[in-house]
Amino acid sequence: MPIDGIFNTTVELLGKSIDLRTKNQNLISSNIANAETPNYVSKSLAFEDELQGALKGAQKGAPAVTDPRHIPLKGSKERLQSVAGRVVETPAKTPGKDGNAVELENEMTKMTENQIMYNASVQILSKKFAGIRSAITGTGGN
Amino acid sequence: MDFFNSMNVSASALSAERTRMNLISSNLANANTTRTPEGGPYKRKDAVFAATPVRNSFDRVLNNAANRDVRQVEVMQIVEDQRPPQLHFDPSHPDANAQGFVAMPNVNVVEEMADMITTTRSYEANVTAIQAAKSMAMKALEISSK
Repeated sequence: MPIDGIFNTTVELLGKSIDLRTKNQNLISSNIANAETPNYVSKSLAFEDELQGALKGAQKGAPAVTDPRHIPLKGSKERLQSVAGRVVETPAKTPGKDGNAVELENEMTKMTENQIMYNASVQILSKKFAGIRSAITGTGGN
Repeated sequence: MDFFNSMNVSASALSAERTRMNLISSNLANANTTRTPEGGPYKRKDAVFAATPVRNSFDRVLNNAANRDVRQVEVMQIVEDQRPPQLHFDPSHPDANAQGFVAMPNVNVVEEMADMITTTRSYEANVTAIQAAKSMAMKALEISSK
């Protein structure tokens, strides 16, 4: 198995996911910090569909290496790497008198969800590495 | 590192909420103060918050597309409430006017208590956000530990 096959898109995808969730955490912190600022509208990072699209493209469009002399095209990785997400405004349905459109409960929920998804990505990535390590050492990875 | 950005934003909010809490304490403490250095009764004070771009030494962070929308919070101004003072009838008070009315501060204690609760909750929300960022950063360190 080539070394590229060991790490494949899983590591790439999880790394990107962790990166984007970090950026989302920044935006959510900003929303919570400005929960009382007049005319502030809450924002969040939408990237799930873009990431999924890149992943689908990566699976379908990856050029196969059928001969040792082929130069592997890394289209898939680059496509995953280029996912940046987009910042969308998520105003509360009932903005306050001062024009502030942040719902604190909503933001706390979003933050918890983001944190759990982040932890999940980290955990899967850890397991992935532990699996590879176990294959290398053959002793269960200690 | 990105997480410090998030923590800095939350920290700016903690300091802003702390300022507001100080003003609320001041309003409550002076709810019956009829003499001030400026003359007249105490006037209720309030903080004006504004969302400002994150300022730190890493300017390139600001150029990052996702971080351009991150805003910290700052107290831009401390304003005095322009509502008229409440007039209480108390002819024996040394600050009473000719008709026996004393100009008392325009502080409504119930309003201040409600503001105090909101401030406390906002402060707690920001502490939670810092803890979340911290636990995420610590979790990232676990990737290769086991």
